[in-house]
Amino acid sequence: MKRNQTLTLCIAAAVLSSAAHAQDVDTSDWACEYCPFEEGHRADYELGATDVSDDSAYFGNATGYDEEGVYANVDGNGTYAKDAYRMRWEAEDLGLDSRVIGLDGGRLGSYNFNLGYRELPRRQFNSTATIFEQTANGTLSLPSPWVHAGTTGDMTELNSSLVSRNIESDRSVFDLGAGFYLSDRWTLSADYRRQEQDGLRIGGGSSFSQASALPMPIDYVTDEVDLGIRYGTDKGFVSLAWYLSDFGNDNTALTWEQPYTFDPIIGNDTFRLAQAPDNRFQQVLLQAGYSFPQQRTVVRISAAMGEIEQDSEFLPYTITSSIATSPLPRSSLAGSIDTSNFALALTSKIFSKARIKLNYRYDERDNKTVQDVWNRVIVDTFASVDLEENIPYSFERSTLNLSADYDLLDTVRVSAGYDRKDLDRDFQEVAEQTEDNGWGRLRWQPTSALELDIRGGASERDIDSYNETFATTLGQNPLMRKYNLAYRSREYGDVKLSFSSDKFSISLDALIAEDSYTQSELGITGGEERRVAADFSWTFSENGSAYLTAGFEEMESEQVGSEAFSTPDWYATHDDDFATYGAGFRVRNIAEKFDLQMDYMRSDGTSEIVVDSNVGGPSAFPDLTSKLDYFRFRFAYRRSERFELNLNLRYQRFVAEDWALDGVEPATVPLLLSLGADPYDEDVFMFGIGFRFSIGTEE
Amino acid sequence: MKLLIQTVSIAALLIVAMQSADAQESEYSREGADTCLACHDDDLTLAVFRTKHAVPSDSRGPFGHGQLQCEACHGPGDTHAGRVRRGQERPPISIIFGTGSVTPLEAQNGACLTCHQADIGFSWHTDAHPSDEVACADCHLSHAATDPVRQTATQPDVCFACHQIQRSETRKAFAHPILQGKMDCMGCHDIHGDTVATQLARLTVNDTCQQCHAEKRGPYLWEHAPVSEDCGLCHSPHGSNHPGMLTKRAPLLCQSCHSQSGHPSIPQDADGLAAGTPSQFLLGQACMNCHSQVHGSNHPSGSKLMR
Repeated sequence: MKRNQTLTLCIAAAVLSSAAHAQDVDTSDWACEYCPFEEGHRADYELGATDVSDDSAYFGNATGYDEEGVYANVDGNGTYAKDAYRMRWEAEDLGLDSRVIGLDGGRLGSYNFNLGYRELPRRQFNSTATIFEQTANGTLSLPSPWVHAGTTGDMTELNSSLVSRNIESDRSVFDLGAGFYLSDRWTLSADYRRQEQDGLRIGGGSSFSQASALPMPIDYVTDEVDLGIRYGTDKGFVSLAWYLSDFGNDNTALTWEQPYTFDPIIGNDTFRLAQAPDNRFQQVLLQAGYSFPQQRTVVRISAAMGEIEQDSEFLPYTITSSIATSPLPRSSLAGSIDTSNFALALTSKIFSKARIKLNYRYDERDNKTVQDVWNRVIVDTFASVDLEENIPYSFERSTLNLSADYDLLDTVRVSAGYDRKDLDRDFQEVAEQTEDNGWGRLRWQPTSALELDIRGGASERDIDSYNETFATTLGQNPLMRKYNLAYRSREYGDVKLSFSSDKFSISLDALIAEDSYTQSELGITGGEERRVAADFSWTFSENGSAYLTAGFEEMESEQVGSEAFSTPDWYATHDDDFATYGAGFRVRNIAEKFDLQMDYMRSDGTSEIVVDSNVGGPSAFPDLTSKLDYFRFRFAYRRSERFELNLNLRYQRFVAEDWALDGVEPATVPLLLSLGADPYDEDVFMFGIGFRFSIGTEE
Repeated sequence: MKLLIQTVSIAALLIVAMQSADAQESEYSREGADTCLACHDDDLTLAVFRTKHAVPSDSRGPFGHGQLQCEACHGPGDTHAGRVRRGQERPPISIIFGTGSVTPLEAQNGACLTCHQADIGFSWHTDAHPSDEVACADCHLSHAATDPVRQTATQPDVCFACHQIQRSETRKAFAHPILQGKMDCMGCHDIHGDTVATQLARLTVNDTCQQCHAEKRGPYLWEHAPVSEDCGLCHSPHGSNHPGMLTKRAPLLCQSCHSQSGHPSIPQDADGLAAGTPSQFLLGQACMNCHSQVHGSNHPSGSKLMR
């Protein structure tokens, strides 16, 4: 295949509209008598039932199959067509908490609309239990009777007071949109989305040295609006858009009663934390693009300005009334962030065998929130002697990418690139940071079926200086180098190989990267990343195909700490390994009546952590493991074009070993009243039967 | 504001500069689609008549009045449809799409951009896919009544055909619900969209994440610096071995940056597990047992992200 003429011909094609083609061809005899144009309606409906063998939070997550039992289900989709009018609807999983309903349509070339509703269940744990009861005013109260104690082991009423509470939430999304083609060049679009999320998540409530895991209520609403107008021709476009995201939280705070022993004189028997405040983000985005066919160049620019506002009323310093506090500097934050984004992209084919590309981005977050001095009350128990100033973080980030391609031979393309990233931050240890990245690439395509793509490069992230004095004011060890602020050198390489024929395709992608933080005495000092993924597919007949997939990853990092708050005295390694395999086949139209499909997937995750300290010596944690097996078998029998019976069998197993949860019951940790979540260990069989039938337009 | 004014000015100039396209002569068949359908009457071909590409009432489309029907996309077909001598191989149609096609990539994509230049062509030229020589037909099935890449449940498999490493990541224990068919790649990535150079659904990583996680946007009274900068500093959005799609386990994740004297600097080793001396710094939510407001706090006493 000839290469690297994409831009030229695409640009050439761009200026040749189909209308222009048509003007030069006599189509008066093109009756299209054999064209089976779509008219009328057609629809597929599927009624079914699925039996689920066990309760399962992991498999119920996102799917809605979280409880043992039989689920009735309805799916369907349909279309209606008349002249230029089109309408399409779909319904999926109506019997589940993951239901989706959608409708879109319009008159082609004039307008379109879409209306949608979907739900997404989040199922995190179904093994959790809590002593807290939510009262009408939202407070998490203690059961009665309750015996306060200094440690969980001494809470004598604990076990008898535990009540099962699943950690789960439900998200629903309503979407309404429309587009209008005001002319062949002007289009107008409008979209509104409303997301609602309610349920529970795990929150952490702390007293001075003790903590309680709290079932924290979620009650979020986010409204989003996109409005846009666009003028576009084959040569260029201009668009203007406005985006609004308005977040509201019905729970401004979470109050809970202290289950641990409290000081009766202070009276700190109730604590309170703030939940996420309401906020609003607005952004105006202007964009333009233009192609210069003579110069074989395309350029795009965009500029956006936005503002984030947050002005929710503050809670008082503490809920403990006996603690004297100074007045709040303000009653609400009046928080305001200005955002600016600018981008330029240019692609040019400077001559027949070469192309250059430039991308430039500038992003700014200018936090204009006023700084004040605050006199906090530490965990609702005692007033701090230190005054603190809030820090409104701001940054400016610019990224430049330059690259060039050259066709060395008809089958070989070489590329080289340079990337530059500048990041300036306020109120952090590093004010100015740069990263330079150089890379090269070779692509060899001896035939249209075979391609080898090799890329490698090296980058260096540098900083003007690490402000140890400022770090010290934050209480940091002056030797610490935060990993996102530290000097870093990186080397990387990536190899892709693909081969395809009529029957087979094979592809392989292997990536390796190595990071070195040679100027960090504390913090992350090094890291390695190795990833390989491969696919094989085989089309063994006109209606049959099979596939194999595999993926392997290793991610390692090394870090250093100092317990003595001086020089390094402990070291840790954190290695994540992951392997996944998949296989399957599908055959359609066996004897023109049967379809078969089988899919199997296995994923193994392992994380190894070793902490080696001068005091304790090497300490290896038990491996964190996760093993997922997924098997699906589907059989379908088509009685006719309009009626199908299908059987579905699914088996899913997920087993995790997680020392953060394993054996951690509510009273296991003396100073942590946990929810007792267990590591996942779930086996689920699902058997489903469904009948699909079609109505409407004949095939 | 200055930036905005400059951009408006450039945009206005561009509008003025735009002119009509020129025509080009080509050889086409004598009877259009009827010529093609005399032979190509299989289901795959005829499925195009269930798509928006084949609506006679749509004057913009290939089958609109006066348009070139099949040859609008596949190019002039007169030679392909003409008589051939016995034993002579029939010449291929001008433009064949898809994997294994002998048609040069630029010709395939050029056929699509003939009509789609105005809406997606500019982003296409300046984004990553053309550099990697991706054909429109590598992702899109223009004859299918339902294009898999435009369906939430089936779109990821289309993307994963090339982005295999990302597919592996989504199979990790903690990931967005892509494997379950409830979220697609375009929830976060806008391939033909208007974001320049990022291919994200919004202009920045954080803006993209906060479409669904708006509660983390703030601004908070007490911000956590990396949160305001880039969600990807702590989270792996394609999937992770660790809950919350964190890049690594707490407390080591937190100790990558926090070195204050006292408990932030203490190495938490295996002695702190449930079978040993259970530690509240290690088990359950680890650091977040107390510092639960890790994305920021709006509480006047929340400077340590505990309120």
